[in-house]
Amino acid sequence: MLGVIAFRNLRQGGKRTYLLGIALALVTGLLVTLMSLSNGINDSLVRAATTLAAGHVNIAGFYKSTPKESAPIVTDMAPIKAIAAANAPGLTRVIDRHRGWAKAISDTGSMFAGLYGVDVADEGALFAALQVASEADYQDGGRAELRGDPNRLGEPNSVVLFAAQARRLGVTLGDRITLRTETLRGMSNTVDVEVVAVMQNLGMMSSWNLLLPKQTILDLYGLDPNSTGAIMLYLDDIEQSPAVMEQVRSALEEEGYTVMDHDPRPFFSKFEVVSGQDWTGQQLDLTTWDDEVSFMSWILTAIDSVSFLLVMVLAIIIAIGIMNAMWIAVRERTREVGTLRAIGMSQRRVLAMFMIEATALGFIATTIGAGLSVALILGLEAAAIEIPVDAIRAILMSDTLHFVVSPTQILLSVVGFTLFAAIASIWPAVRAARLPPITAIQRTE
Amino acid sequence: MKHLLLLTTLLLSTSANAAPSQTDVLEMLNTIDERQRNSGDYKALAYIEQKERGKEMTAFETVIYRRDATDKMMILFLRPKSEAGKGYLRLDKNLFIFDPSVGKWERRTERERIGGTDSRRADFDQSRLAEQYTPSYKGESKLGKFAVHHLELKAKEGVDVAFPVVELWIDQKTGNVLKAQDRALSGRLMRTVYYPKWRKVFSESKGAEVYFPKAIHIFDEVEKENQTQVVLQKVDLNPLAENIFTKAWLESQSR
Repeated sequence: MLGVIAFRNLRQGGKRTYLLGIALALVTGLLVTLMSLSNGINDSLVRAATTLAAGHVNIAGFYKSTPKESAPIVTDMAPIKAIAAANAPGLTRVIDRHRGWAKAISDTGSMFAGLYGVDVADEGALFAALQVASEADYQDGGRAELRGDPNRLGEPNSVVLFAAQARRLGVTLGDRITLRTETLRGMSNTVDVEVVAVMQNLGMMSSWNLLLPKQTILDLYGLDPNSTGAIMLYLDDIEQSPAVMEQVRSALEEEGYTVMDHDPRPFFSKFEVVSGQDWTGQQLDLTTWDDEVSFMSWILTAIDSVSFLLVMVLAIIIAIGIMNAMWIAVRERTREVGTLRAIGMSQRRVLAMFMIEATALGFIATTIGAGLSVALILGLEAAAIEIPVDAIRAILMSDTLHFVVSPTQILLSVVGFTLFAAIASIWPAVRAARLPPITAIQRTE
Repeated sequence: MKHLLLLTTLLLSTSANAAPSQTDVLEMLNTIDERQRNSGDYKALAYIEQKERGKEMTAFETVIYRRDATDKMMILFLRPKSEAGKGYLRLDKNLFIFDPSVGKWERRTERERIGGTDSRRADFDQSRLAEQYTPSYKGESKLGKFAVHHLELKAKEGVDVAFPVVELWIDQKTGNVLKAQDRALSGRLMRTVYYPKWRKVFSESKGAEVYFPKAIHIFDEVEKENQTQVVLQKVDLNPLAENIFTKAWLESQSR
């Protein structure tokens, strides 16, 4: 009965009900869209991080020949790899990559870049996740057909670039670039490498990483073939990364390896700390994938913070709108409230009637808002709209607008805003319920 | 004085006769090192100018402080204003950089490029060629109008240097280095350095003259358009304050 009255009152509210409903629908839709965008960035980050920069669990470390010189390498890799593989539940694959840092110099440009030394035979998943770029992607007037073969990375002194890097260096397939770096003893060294493939960008991370054959990195830095930069473990459930990391850590410590305390930062942030420590030899450093990209978490934090702020401001405005609308409803319907109270309706039922009205409005509006935003998001995702500005592409870690819809978040948004509408109506509803019947009838008369 | 006599004898003999012996070549390096060594302190004003492909030219005014006896060195940036107070401090085998804009010290490799230019710490430091390299004689040649000895130096085992192979062209008449070429481990030519003018100042502590290049022209051979010019002025060999080579002193310069 109360529900029927509430719905009738909503219908009678006319323009006021529609405006409030539209506002609620818009804010819900905005929240769902922003959350989906944040999920999309997170998804891109995980994809880029676990494709390019890190495994789900990583075993890296530092080797110090003197207390002051530290190199980000793992010596005597084979037994460490075996221990890790035997103690990582849910392991799907294990690979290792060399790491380096060099200045890449072409005839027309130069840039500093991280180097990944890879073994093509182990990197099926990497090359499955990357797509070859057309020349038109990185050269004005370039050819549209897809050329280049990342599998040629098995050839000595070859390099695979990403489109943004090829554009910056002004190179195309077959061109040579010089990599200039220092060996672990600090001597200058160079290597000339041939561009064998240019891949499509994979967000910000692909702007500073080059792929090289392992042997090229070994030669460049004068390393032993049984050394590596990082052993990367991939799991069937990424959520298990912290637990698996701890398990592998215990196993390595039991085997007598020295493992550094967990420091949730990428390896390149640890040079300063390690260089300042007074030890020599090998220490291992275990991290999860999100530790290795923690320097980028500010992007998600910033987007989430802006979203929260925006939605909160809008929510406060809407709360004021709901309270105001309910006050108007109470004023307009004082005679009705008085009559209902006079014929025996309890204060509690009057309160419930007004709250049902706000709750119903909230539920219908937020459901419509969430539904429309999901439809919009799915449309945008299907359209794969390209982001025209490089800086935004870098921040969003994708060349196209990428959204990921979470049903749980949609449900929480609908329930949350419905409750919010209900709560905003409490005070006007309480005031309506407390009106003495005589006063209410007299006031309207 | 002993080194100068030896060098004069060597130069006279090599200009008239066959290639110098390994001992003579080593002596050439010792002389170059000895001439630039000062047993006391060293201070000089250095202007460093960097031209880089696709970028505007940058110039720095710096002061170089050295105390060779204890292997200490400092480079303090005075200009431009944005770099004022920044500095490198070498203590033993550690090179630190201080950035006053963030108030933080960072440890850097000894081969650090100074201010991002093609110049390196070693270009401003005491010459240690004989200590770090094994020389071999490549022959006599001409460098413009100058008759020169051409030497190839290879880094000694276990010594940390930026360039494992260095070629030197030494003026037969004066014994000064006129040109150097630095090669990478791969053999690739990395830098060509010219020393067009040398100056000398009498050092009370050494009791002899100390040589220094008035200008250094560094050409990047990998990024061909990049080059660095260094001009050294106001070389002062008087004793410096005891507390100069400390982090606190360098930090105080930006306050």
